[in-house]
Amino acid sequence: MSSVYDELREAAELAAAARRSPERPLVRVDLSTSSIAAEADRLWEALEPLAAQHDVELVRVGTLGLSWLEPVVEVERPDLSASASGGGAVVYGPVRTEDAAEFLAAALGDNPAEDASRWLIGARTPTVGVPPLADHPFWGPQERRLMRLMGIIDPESLDEAIAEGAYGALDRAVTMDPMAICDLVLAAGVGGRGGGGFPAGQKWKFLLGAPGPTKYLVCNADEGDPGAFVNRVLMESDPHLVIEGMAIAGRATGSDYGFIYIRDEYPLSIERMQLALDQARARGLLGRDIFGSGFDFDLEITRGAGSYVCGEETGLIASVEGIRGMPKIRPPFPAQRGVFDQPSNVNNTETYANVPLIVQHGANWYREHGTESDPGTKMFSISGALERPGILEVPFGMGMDELLLGCGGGPPDGHRPKGIQPGGPLGGLLPASDLGLKLERPPFTERGVLLGSGGLILFDERASAVDLTKYFSEFCEDESCGRCTTCHGGSQRLVEVLERIMHGDGREEDLTRIGAIDRTLQNANCLHGQFTPYAVRGLVNYFRDELDTHIAEKRDPARVAPGLTRYLIVDPSDPRLEEAAALCPTACIARAPVEADDESDEGEDGAERSEALGDWRIDQPHCIHCDVCREIAPEAIRVEDRYLATLSVV
Amino acid sequence: MERFAGLLQQLPRAQGEMLRALHLAQEELGWISRDAIRLIARHLRVSEAQVYGPATFYAEFRHSPPPRTLVTWCSGPSCRVVGGDRVRRIFEAEFGCRLGENTADDELGLWLGQCNGTCEQAPMVWVNGRVVGPLSMVDSVKLARRLKAGEDVIEWPRRPIKIAPATFVDAEATYGSEHEHEADGAD
Repeated sequence: MSSVYDELREAAELAAAARRSPERPLVRVDLSTSSIAAEADRLWEALEPLAAQHDVELVRVGTLGLSWLEPVVEVERPDLSASASGGGAVVYGPVRTEDAAEFLAAALGDNPAEDASRWLIGARTPTVGVPPLADHPFWGPQERRLMRLMGIIDPESLDEAIAEGAYGALDRAVTMDPMAICDLVLAAGVGGRGGGGFPAGQKWKFLLGAPGPTKYLVCNADEGDPGAFVNRVLMESDPHLVIEGMAIAGRATGSDYGFIYIRDEYPLSIERMQLALDQARARGLLGRDIFGSGFDFDLEITRGAGSYVCGEETGLIASVEGIRGMPKIRPPFPAQRGVFDQPSNVNNTETYANVPLIVQHGANWYREHGTESDPGTKMFSISGALERPGILEVPFGMGMDELLLGCGGGPPDGHRPKGIQPGGPLGGLLPASDLGLKLERPPFTERGVLLGSGGLILFDERASAVDLTKYFSEFCEDESCGRCTTCHGGSQRLVEVLERIMHGDGREEDLTRIGAIDRTLQNANCLHGQFTPYAVRGLVNYFRDELDTHIAEKRDPARVAPGLTRYLIVDPSDPRLEEAAALCPTACIARAPVEADDESDEGEDGAERSEALGDWRIDQPHCIHCDVCREIAPEAIRVEDRYLATLSVV
Repeated sequence: MERFAGLLQQLPRAQGEMLRALHLAQEELGWISRDAIRLIARHLRVSEAQVYGPATFYAEFRHSPPPRTLVTWCSGPSCRVVGGDRVRRIFEAEFGCRLGENTADDELGLWLGQCNGTCEQAPMVWVNGRVVGPLSMVDSVKLARRLKAGEDVIEWPRRPIKIAPATFVDAEATYGSEHEHEADGAD
């Protein structure tokens, strides 16, 4: 270790310790995007005066990943520690703002396990009388490496990060030969975490071998896949891990400048990364002559502006340059001509974040977990029809059922899993029977889907596979950059066909048509177009019955497609229909017969369409199938899974 | 506009500053006006077309003034599998405008938002940037009507997110015996 780093760490440890006294309890409040969505910011405001009253230290932290329990609060009480090495940290949630006073009194009282049992989740570190968090199904199977400090340190404090060892790996890396770092990362076998899985060490060697002097690094934090929020959690909860990883990559590739491209939907990530950059620069961890080694490196943030296709590396590079984020044909690869035509390297945020750990612990340590094709651990964000949605880190190779049904608890309320959507809009669809797949790239590729960047969405029988496919196709159409007609035209045609099917106009030849569109899209210029048909291919391969029911029987078993369902009143005497009528957004439930002022209501089938039963009736053409009435009067209203007439309700 | 012009002067005159300049315009003016495009083009020494391109390519940049109250509807799949598309139809019907539009008086707007991973709140919307969810369909109607009545809806009652009754389970029973070692290790 260099003396510069030693001094830095010593000072940081002192500063971090000064913020906390060992006797006073610590109250850690999760302040991340997920918890703020559950009003953790207001909880913080309520806790501030209370903390002064109770003489406890209130600390802002990132997330532990227990998203469904947000706002999560951890109370660490040295007096309750059950281990000599410290402990007494108990995790609670969800703590509502209005319960703040009651909660804090209970958690700081004599018997928190009982008094605060309403909120109790488990003890993160050994605590007298509290069951360990390790027994929790969400926590137990995890292997937290990247997430080691998340939810524990203050992401806005550089001192705390350094006191926990941040930038120690950079200190070692600046004295290493660049090629040796590349070899180390290659030996560890870190694959690109954006989903491509290309060995990062190999990519770095390309850039190292490229002619200088100007070379750029780019960090892809344009996490556009809906349902994936791995990068967001990384940047919000441990930003210095990403910066350190990029600095090491800079040393390994002979690059002295980098861009972190963050999507605009992540304002808190942008804020925390910017703060972390400023702190690192002020401490000499970025800038000229880092640790007196002669190595220069600096970073800036590029704020995206809402474009999915900028997640593709050439699109990302274009966006960094400040032009429209349209992908280009490769080659030339970024290592030859990247940002501003200089040799560049693009990696995912999570890829960079793994690097300090490898430099610190070595390639063998890294390979202790994971599989031959995908060594190490992976962060997954799980959502959809789940009892326990959240973010967690597990070894590659774990069964998907273990992750989604074990950790995630499967669908709530006894619903049955129907399928999985891995890897974002371009990832495809899998049936529930594939839940046993191991979480590594090869089995997914074999099934014709992508494991992607770590987002997994489970859906149950309430969701329609056709509707999901239409959504993903629409998404791809909307986000197509428009450069090649194959992609933007192809996805438009795909959406048209699916839309027609969902409105009851499906034709037998549509399957042939979908096949032709699929084959055409494979010739698109970039991955966006080439992967667009993955979703519809999943539909045809794995949810064929459902698609056939839509086309042949004009029926939607999931009762989602507005054109294939109709709401009917089956019990006109139900008194709750009054309220249902009052809340109906289109006022299409009415007691009196529907006035024939609208032309479409007239004619001989008008009487048939306005389903009259007793007093109440639903004016079918105006019904938007929003389910409000059925939420209020579930016994009085039934949803038919077919509708013979075609309606244009979109 | 003058303040924006002043701040713009502080940015380097380079093509790479384009997104920063456009973000600055939107933050200062609320939207990207024709005048803003002209100013940015002059400052970065590019043609107006070269500003107009990115300004219209990226979905976050808006070309009309924002509404007083903006409802951003989350289009994500996690919302969709629990009824998100119904929420959209309810807001469209209640507001009387389509997704991506403002009401005629610019009081209310219903715009499309991309998933940012607060999926445990699904189905959800953002009201002036603040997450509101999980929404039942009845909630959605009531929320839309309160907004229509001119309320800011700062306080929206949080429905308790349902939590599985048994938080602690027998690890072996959950994962089966092949994971015994993990349960042991965890102790």
